[in-house]
Amino acid sequence: MGNLIVRRVTQMLLIMLTVSLLLFAIFDSDQFREKAAVAELGGFGVATLSADDYHEWLEKKGLNERFLARYGRWLESVLHGDMGQSIEKDIAVSVLLKESLTNTGILAFFVFLIMIPVSLTLGVLAGMNTGSPLDRVISIVAVLTTSIPQIATAVLLTVILALGLGWVPTKSAMADGWSFRGLVLPLLTLLLYDIGYLVRMTRAAMTEVMASQYIRTAVLKGLPYRRVILRHALRNALIVPVTLIFLELNGLLSQVVVVEVFFQYAGFGRMLFDAANFGDLQVLQAATLVAVCVAVGSQLLSDAAYVFLNPRVRFT
Amino acid sequence: MNEHSLLPRLRDQLHGGRMDRREFIRFATLLGVAAGTAYAMAGMSAPAMASSTLPFPAAEPGAKRGGKLRVGEMVARMEDPATYNWNEMANQTRPILEYLTLVGPDNVVRPMLIESWKPSADLKTWTLQVRSGVMWHNGEELTAEHVAWNIRRWSDPALGSSNLGLSTFAALTEYTGDKDSKGRAVRRPLKNGVEVQDSRTVRLNLAKPVLSVAEDCGEFCTLVVHPSFKPPLSHNPIGTGPYTLVELRVGDRCILKRITKTTDGRDFHYWGGDVFLDEIHFHHYEQENQTAALASGSVDAIYELPVEQIELARSIPGAQILSVETAQTLCCRMQVDVKPFNDIRVRRAVVKAADNGAIKKLVFGEHGSVAANFHVAPIHPEYFPLPLQVRDVAGARQLLKEAGYENGIDLNIVVGNNDGPWQQAACEALRDQVKEAGINLAVTVVPATKFWEIWTKVPFGATSWAHRPLGTMALSQAYRTGASWNESHFSDPEFDKALSEAEATIDVPTRKARMQKVETILRDAAVVIQPMWRPVFILASARVHGYKAHPARQMQLTKVWMS
Repeated sequence: MGNLIVRRVTQMLLIMLTVSLLLFAIFDSDQFREKAAVAELGGFGVATLSADDYHEWLEKKGLNERFLARYGRWLESVLHGDMGQSIEKDIAVSVLLKESLTNTGILAFFVFLIMIPVSLTLGVLAGMNTGSPLDRVISIVAVLTTSIPQIATAVLLTVILALGLGWVPTKSAMADGWSFRGLVLPLLTLLLYDIGYLVRMTRAAMTEVMASQYIRTAVLKGLPYRRVILRHALRNALIVPVTLIFLELNGLLSQVVVVEVFFQYAGFGRMLFDAANFGDLQVLQAATLVAVCVAVGSQLLSDAAYVFLNPRVRFT
Repeated sequence: MNEHSLLPRLRDQLHGGRMDRREFIRFATLLGVAAGTAYAMAGMSAPAMASSTLPFPAAEPGAKRGGKLRVGEMVARMEDPATYNWNEMANQTRPILEYLTLVGPDNVVRPMLIESWKPSADLKTWTLQVRSGVMWHNGEELTAEHVAWNIRRWSDPALGSSNLGLSTFAALTEYTGDKDSKGRAVRRPLKNGVEVQDSRTVRLNLAKPVLSVAEDCGEFCTLVVHPSFKPPLSHNPIGTGPYTLVELRVGDRCILKRITKTTDGRDFHYWGGDVFLDEIHFHHYEQENQTAALASGSVDAIYELPVEQIELARSIPGAQILSVETAQTLCCRMQVDVKPFNDIRVRRAVVKAADNGAIKKLVFGEHGSVAANFHVAPIHPEYFPLPLQVRDVAGARQLLKEAGYENGIDLNIVVGNNDGPWQQAACEALRDQVKEAGINLAVTVVPATKFWEIWTKVPFGATSWAHRPLGTMALSQAYRTGASWNESHFSDPEFDKALSEAEATIDVPTRKARMQKVETILRDAAVVIQPMWRPVFILASARVHGYKAHPARQMQLTKVWMS
């Protein structure tokens, strides 16, 4: 296990280094410099500058500095814990990152809090009784919610719950401070999709287990059905869903881009979207580091859970 | 009264019926006549103003003090007012910093931080009288030096301000004779262009006659900053307006509060009379989300109501939909020196195959008005009506054949939707129309920010042009040989000459007659397909009073109040 952790962390650091270098390289182009100029002066403003004045402007903004020098300086300050300044929002990246991660963290917390019990219960119920009316209903609903793209779910929910019934605000900007009502729409949008997905996976795993020899043996042996399910079936059926739940942690990070941008929830996804649109390099870099961290971290957790649940597997 | 020598002629024209009243008011105010007086001369009742010396409308009876206004718009950075490139930036700043002049919702310009302006007979020397009793937030009084410092800054070619595209500030620069590495002529500020005569008087000595000095001083990048200004403005905003910045979170919120004390601890006195709101809050909502935000009561007013959301807005109980006609437009322009557009037959074929009226109707329905490919709008005082061009598909085919494209031609138009998705809709409508003439037009949609990186470079592009109070302003910025914003690379000495003549002509019938030539040259050169002049809609809840739609989309909130 210790070995695994060391390997994963090394892997993570290498990925971080590569990705950040790549991002820097992409942004070290005349095209990006022009993007930065347009972001600051506007297309009409840049068009008034003569070539010399344009270069002087770049010089003044430190955008003409050599690539490696800039990268080296950035790397050094990151190692010292300073992630730089957002050009667009004019605040420290660390502050921005902390706030947006907190907001996305709250959203993710509620997603998991509701998703795990609901989808495991429904998935197990469906998988236990494959082919029964209950299974049919659960499966059809699950297919339906996963087949609608989140952006469509978001519109649908807004029309029904916010504009129609007026129960919740249309957008989750939460201008008057944090409110749970504002969280409802993004939360539901994420839940509908994620629960459907996890229910289907749990159901499939449960069905497979229920059809296996050892369950049949246990039933034929005369063990009480309840005991067969709880002691024999569940533990094996949950291996796949549990690893998926950990991987979902990473999946959520990309799902929130759509949902947070649509509902204007000030989380990680929206920050990433804004930064990419504006060309806010330092924010993008920091966000990428976080994303890599979450990706590798969730994989590590998922591996650990797998080992824990399935004694046949050992990572060395 | 010491009036401008051209004024009697204007009055003659008005009484002789050669000029309509609106035109008279527009021109008379440009020549330094107070708007109220101009309305009176024209025999029209002026909109009720607070007093003849203030640029604001009179307070409505029963106007209530206090409260906060929550505005939904995209909350933007506040870096340097002279290089602002979003209207939203100026909206957040306008209650803090102010203009030398204010262009009202009626499209008439009134003095703001200057008390009056006076042009010489040749329109080359302008005397600006600085308003007295204007207090900066730091307790200092506004002086002519401060004003001159700002104007010099706006005319500095190294600043990268779009102000340099305005005739007045362009006329405060001269060509050095050198060319930069891109082959463009280099400019430098004119020596002695801005002269401080005494503590209240600034004189502009322009390189050429300009009529639009007063209008230019009220354009959205000309907010007056204190000479101690260092960007970003949001760190230390010192202005003359009644509000100050309390908090700015880009992409989230911008909070403004009434200012009561100067930074040196004295009582702040606002020159502009009563101000009603205690606080103005800008809350970030993307353009397409603003109506929904107002519908659920999260904001009281929004920056702009997109045309496709008018139905939604009508369903909101009590909401006020306000609109105004503008000279904002979409120019689908072709670069005249890039293949295949260097062949005028190709350009003419595209223009002929397009049906401007149908595009306008599809995009804006009964709102807005059809444009006729020469970039002067009916609401411009010097507009000369040319007959609308009729769609001629067979003619377009014939032209293409002559140009050697018997089997049709593949073209690509780039659109950035900088002003909303309606631009894309217009291009797609154009695509379907020109198909009939054998032109396969592909529409490439790029993100708005991306578009501003390439707008001067793409051979065929759809650029949104903002409202300009005078028709010659846009022509001079976009079609004169070598102008910084000449995106079509159009260059015709005869056009340049005709335009300069029209610009220097104050006599309206003559000016209009001269515009006929200018407009005809541009139209016949088939440089742009310009389908429409777009209307602007805004939306506010029933509680908001005094919030008006403005042709240049300036949000003017100084006299707004909430019931």
